[in-house]
Amino acid sequence: MKIKSYFLIVLGLAALGLFPVLVPNPYYVHLVETILIYAILLFGLDIVVGYTGQVSLGHAGLFGVGSYTAGVLFFKLGLPFLLAVPAAIGVTAVFGAVLALPALRVTGPYLAMVTLAFGTIIQILINEMTFLTEGPIGIKVAKPIFFGHKLNEVEYFYVVAVLMVLALVVVHRILKSHLGRAFEALRDSPVACDCMGVSVYRYKVYAFVISAGLAGLAGALYTYSEEYISPNTYNFELTILFLLAVIMGGRKTRSGALIGAAIVVMLPSLLSDINLFRVIATALAVGVAAMAAYNLMRKTRTVRELAVPVLATVAMSVFSFQLENITDWRLTIFGLMILFVVYYLQDGVVGFARDFLARFVRPKTHASVGSSNANLRRWTSTHTNASAGTGPLLEAQQVLMQFGGLKALNRVDLRVMPGTVHGLIGPNGSGKSTMMNVLTGIYQPTAGQVLFNGHSVTGQTPASIALSGIARTFQNVQLFGEMTATDNVLVSLHHIYKSNIVDVMLGTTRYRREDAAAREQAASLLDFVGLTAMSQEQARNLPYGKQRMLEIARALGLDPRLLLLDEPAAGLSPADLPELMSMVQKVRDHGITIILIEHHMDVVMGISDTVSVLDFGQKIAEGKPADVQSNPAVIEAYLGSGAQAH
Amino acid sequence: MLTIENLQAGYGKVQVLHGISIQVPQGKIVTLIGSNGAGKTTTMRAVSGMIKPTAGKITLAGVDITGLDSHQIAKRGLAHSPEGRRVFPTLSVLDNIRLGAFVRYTKARPQGDIESDLQKALELFPRLKERTHQIAGTLSGGEQQMLAMARAIMLNPEVILLDEPSMGLAPILVEEVFNIISRLKGEGVTMLLVEQFAAAALKVADYGYVLENGRISVHGPADQLKDDPAVKAAYLGG
Repeated sequence: MKIKSYFLIVLGLAALGLFPVLVPNPYYVHLVETILIYAILLFGLDIVVGYTGQVSLGHAGLFGVGSYTAGVLFFKLGLPFLLAVPAAIGVTAVFGAVLALPALRVTGPYLAMVTLAFGTIIQILINEMTFLTEGPIGIKVAKPIFFGHKLNEVEYFYVVAVLMVLALVVVHRILKSHLGRAFEALRDSPVACDCMGVSVYRYKVYAFVISAGLAGLAGALYTYSEEYISPNTYNFELTILFLLAVIMGGRKTRSGALIGAAIVVMLPSLLSDINLFRVIATALAVGVAAMAAYNLMRKTRTVRELAVPVLATVAMSVFSFQLENITDWRLTIFGLMILFVVYYLQDGVVGFARDFLARFVRPKTHASVGSSNANLRRWTSTHTNASAGTGPLLEAQQVLMQFGGLKALNRVDLRVMPGTVHGLIGPNGSGKSTMMNVLTGIYQPTAGQVLFNGHSVTGQTPASIALSGIARTFQNVQLFGEMTATDNVLVSLHHIYKSNIVDVMLGTTRYRREDAAAREQAASLLDFVGLTAMSQEQARNLPYGKQRMLEIARALGLDPRLLLLDEPAAGLSPADLPELMSMVQKVRDHGITIILIEHHMDVVMGISDTVSVLDFGQKIAEGKPADVQSNPAVIEAYLGSGAQAH
Repeated sequence: MLTIENLQAGYGKVQVLHGISIQVPQGKIVTLIGSNGAGKTTTMRAVSGMIKPTAGKITLAGVDITGLDSHQIAKRGLAHSPEGRRVFPTLSVLDNIRLGAFVRYTKARPQGDIESDLQKALELFPRLKERTHQIAGTLSGGEQQMLAMARAIMLNPEVILLDEPSMGLAPILVEEVFNIISRLKGEGVTMLLVEQFAAAALKVADYGYVLENGRISVHGPADQLKDDPAVKAAYLGG
């Protein structure tokens, strides 16, 4: 695998380096140059779209900001390339931070609208601010000059190629690091992300700023490439084109960005030649028909599912030979092709190719993963020897949580002593989960306060509460679904990383040391909950019970002093319960205090030191398990007369 | 009534079910027990068409429903109350229940003639009756589970698939849910039940199948399975 990917890298670099030699035609050199520039922007756009899952229709605007920053600095001040480009990156990054502001409040279609408005405003401003941008007339720029030598088209091509490779490496490193994991985590579950001490607020801004910086670089390079810029370039269509390139190429891959860039740049040009179009259409029809036949043979698809794509591509091929002139039809055909790709290849060209190739490769066995168990460091908490103080570790005082007229929590007091397991039970809707959300800062209580370790945490953000030592699991599992089990745990180990973005970009020893430590810790946590064999599986593919175990491992990654478990046994079979109970006890023996919400009475009564009972937002009983169990009020409200032993 | 023959299914490259066969006779409750990841929920999803089986045959009242889409299967009389109680969170309780009868609104019966069934469902779940105009998303977990069951009943189905009805419910509600299942059984409803509380499930069921790693390991009448030492040790918690 390693050798194969090195081979591909060398091949790619060689192709890039030799291209202007092999194809000296300046038109094609310029075309590929444009692809490389677009690819830089798409790397950035993919961070926002693919990784953080936000829609941005403002990237043409950012591209324009980068272009015009470089253009104006050259035109008005005569700044050299080496100053203008960093300035363009910096200015665009600031605009990126501005674009991030709406993303902190709205998502989905609303965010699309706001970013679209942003892009439009940028274009209008470029048009109107004639004192700076020369308005619709545009700006003329000369190719950069290095040491008195003005670069020609081919030399500039190499500048762009080197910067593209640099951008690729940097983006790849960022996305493979804890920063990239933070981006993905906030996409899959913002709530869980915050509760793992990774501020959604901060990392959304980071994502937009990095993305904008790349758009700025691309914009500046574009200015020098075209040698003339005007406001009309940075329009709505360009922004759609960028988005399509990410989707068609395949999100969450760098090769996808390159292929996407190639498609959107090349296709319109290729389509202008009728003969070439005929070849492409026929090749496509043959390819799709072959795929269909293959799928039919393996019976993975039905005839009905395959009929539409086959007929459509064949019709297009026939149509191409009927046409005498393509110019009038170019955009229509381009649009249809895009529709086709988006509909049938939802993971983009790269995703499709990966799935297709995966069929011929035998699935990897994870047996080797388990064998390294012997030299695995056993997980331990740093609080093992924490002095169990005399006061409570957590104290909720008169907590009132009001939703409209409903008092979900009505002046509840809760004292959790260090080193204990504190059970919290009550009927569904009695306020247990609301209490969890108040303790972890997801809800701000209407009145009352929460003291943790003697300090008030009321009013703090979930991320800072998490970092101060309160970890939790969720009643309705909140894993980062598209990420592997290991990566899920690594998100909560984010606090281990002190490296900044420069460390990540350069791959310094500090970063590598921290990364190794975090991975070792993650492996021992997965071992602790018995998930070593599934460490490379996507979280969403794990069975429900295993997902709950993964949530516990992830919560422990925070190295908490207090762990809130919200119905850990839901979805487990009775046979699994002893294992869960011994695990909870082991966690407590590591010096971690536990609040346990659970409906399985065997579990709660078996391992709790104290049990509190909530009903309609009020505490109706508290005490030792046996006392609570025989309390008539508890039996009536919660246990039921049968009190069957589950 | 519902026959599953040699069913194989999975997700992507991962095969979960390796050929299982289950019979659910008319008017009986059949339960499917097994540990986590054995394939219980996958079986339910394959039967109701949420995932496509890769091999095998599923017939409902003698009609082959293998490979049909979920909505077509529902139309043929199979209701699925999924794991994790997927109610429509922004709709009212009443609208949720009515939607369960969606396929019964036809040209011939524009009103669906569901009024009597609606009343019956509300009688069965008095807690819902008190909250008909509440938004479903604001119900507590137990109430949402009841709503999911009420919605399934409204289809007036031949067979109900009930996946983990007691998950995350207070003991008092678990009792209530099983009482309701017994009452439905008394009314002659045919049901395939997946449940972690194997003991309680076997108490109410007529017949049971034990699923292990995507294969049926043991099956038999519920009261026999209850006393089977192997089943006892593995699934009934000793």
